[in-house]
Amino acid sequence: MMNATIAKLAAQALLGRRRFILLLAFPVLLIGLVALVAALTDGDAAFQILPGLGYPLVLPLVAILAASSVLGPEVDDGSIVYLLSKPVSRHGIATSKWVVALGATLVAGALPILVAALVTGDTTRAFALFVGAAVAGTTYSALFLAVSAVTRHAVIASLMFVLIWEGLLGNLFSGVAWLSVGQWGLRIGHEISSELPDPANLPWAIAASVVVTVAGVFFAGDRLRSFTLRGED
Amino acid sequence: MSESTTPGTGRSGVIHDLGYRRYDGPREGTGAIARTLFLTGLRHAYGLERSGKSKVMPFLLLGMSLLPAAIIVGVVVLTGLRSLPVTYAGYTSQTQLLVSLFAAAQAPVLFSRDLRHRSIVLYAARPLSSAAFGFVRWLSMSVALLAFMVIPTLLMFVGALLAGLDKSDQLSDLYKAVVLQVFLAALVAGITGLVSSVSLRRGFAVVGSVMVLIVLTGVVTAVQNIAQSQGSDSVSVGAGLFSPWSLYSGLGNAWDAGTRVPVSVDGAWVPAYVLVLLLVAAGCVLGLVARFRKVGSR
Repeated sequence: MMNATIAKLAAQALLGRRRFILLLAFPVLLIGLVALVAALTDGDAAFQILPGLGYPLVLPLVAILAASSVLGPEVDDGSIVYLLSKPVSRHGIATSKWVVALGATLVAGALPILVAALVTGDTTRAFALFVGAAVAGTTYSALFLAVSAVTRHAVIASLMFVLIWEGLLGNLFSGVAWLSVGQWGLRIGHEISSELPDPANLPWAIAASVVVTVAGVFFAGDRLRSFTLRGED
Repeated sequence: MSESTTPGTGRSGVIHDLGYRRYDGPREGTGAIARTLFLTGLRHAYGLERSGKSKVMPFLLLGMSLLPAAIIVGVVVLTGLRSLPVTYAGYTSQTQLLVSLFAAAQAPVLFSRDLRHRSIVLYAARPLSSAAFGFVRWLSMSVALLAFMVIPTLLMFVGALLAGLDKSDQLSDLYKAVVLQVFLAALVAGITGLVSSVSLRRGFAVVGSVMVLIVLTGVVTAVQNIAQSQGSDSVSVGAGLFSPWSLYSGLGNAWDAGTRVPVSVDGAWVPAYVLVLLLVAAGCVLGLVARFRKVGSR
C-alpha cells in the first residue's frame, strides 16, 4: 500500500525550500508562549493556553497545512497527472501522502503540545492531552486530505470546519461535540486524566475517530481514481 | 503594419499598436488604467466576473456575517429593546473570525495569482508601473474588506432606525465604527496582501494570513487576560499592540465605541495604538510595493 518514492516526494513538497519555516513556526510559538507564561506566572495559568489555543487552533492548523501541501500543489499546477499516469494504486498514493501528513502533524502539532504541557508540570495531564492531540491529529490529517482531494479551496474549507463549526458553533452548542474531531480526541484523553473535559461518550469518540480516519484516506484515494483536472476558476 | 502611429497623448514608449486593428481615437491615461484595475480587483475579491465556484466562498462568509446582524435586528424589533444589544464596532469585533477568513481566503486571489502565473509581466508592460499595480491591488483589497465589514453594520443601522431607536446615538456609533473599520481594513489588507505576495502557494498564503490574523490574536488575547488576572495592567495593554484585532478593540475601547478589552486603553497608550496601526499598515503597503516592483522588473 505504501510507496516510499511518493512519500519522499510528498515530504519534499511539504518541507522543501523555505516552507518548513512556516510549519516550524507553530511549535516554536506555542512552546515559547507557554514557557514564558509558566515562568512569569504559574503552571496552571500556562496550561490553560493549551486547551484554549494550542489544541483547538494550532493542532488543526498544522494538520491543514500538512494535508493540503502534500496534495494541493500538485493539483494546483497540474503535475499530478504524471503521478496518476504511473501504474501505482491510487489508494497507495493517498495512503503514502497521508502517512507523510500524519507524521508532520504529530511532530509539529501533537509533540509540541506534549512538550508545552510538560513545561507546566503535571505529567499525567500532559500525556492525556498528548494522547488526545495524537488521536485528533490523525483524524484531522485524514479528513483534510479527503477535503484536499475534493476542492481547490481545501484550506479555506478545512479552516471553516475547524474555526466555525468546531470553534464558534462548538462553543455555543454543546451538541456539536458529537461531530467534532477535537472533542473526540479530548474525550479519549479524558480517560487518562480527568482534568480534560468529558464531551461525548468514549465508544462513540473512538469509533468516530477510526471511521473518519479510514473513510477519509479511502475517500481521498477514491477521488484520485476518478480525477478530473480543471483550470483555475 | 504601423507606419505612422500617432500617439494621442504625447507619451512615448507605450506600445499601443499590437498589430490587430488601428485606433485613432482619444486614449485614456494611466489614471484610467489604475481605476479599471481597482474596480476589477474589487469585483474579483467577491468572485464577480469569475466562475460560480469562486463566488461561493466570499458570499458564504458574507452571508454568515449578515445572519447574526439580521437576528439582532429581529430581536430588537420583536422585544422592543430601546438600544442595540451590541454596538456596531463591537459587532465587527465579535465576527472577527469571519472577517479574518474572508481576508485570508481572498487576498491570494488578488495578490498571488498574477505572480504565480507570471501574468504580472503583461501588466508591467503597460504604462502603469508594477509598484503602482501593487498599491492599487492593496486599495481593492482594503475596499473589499471595508465593504465586508460595513454591509452588516449598515444592515443593523437601518434595522435600528426602522425600529425607532434614537437617531443621533446610532449615527455617532455608526461613525465611530466605520472610521475604525477603515483603519482595520487598511491594516488587514496590507498584512494579508504582503503574506500572499510572498508565499505564492495558495495553501501557504492562507495559513500564513490565518496565523497573523487568528493565531496571533489568540496569543495576544491569552497574554492580555493572563496579565490582567496577574494585576499587571500595563503588560496587558502593551500586549494589545501586537495583533490587528487587539489594536482595533483597544482603539474602539479608548474611543468608547463598545469593543471589549481586558484592561481599558487610555492615556499615552492611545497615540501608541494609533501609531503602531498606521506604521504597520504603511510598512505593509511599502513592502507590497517593493515586492511588486522587484517581481515586475524581472
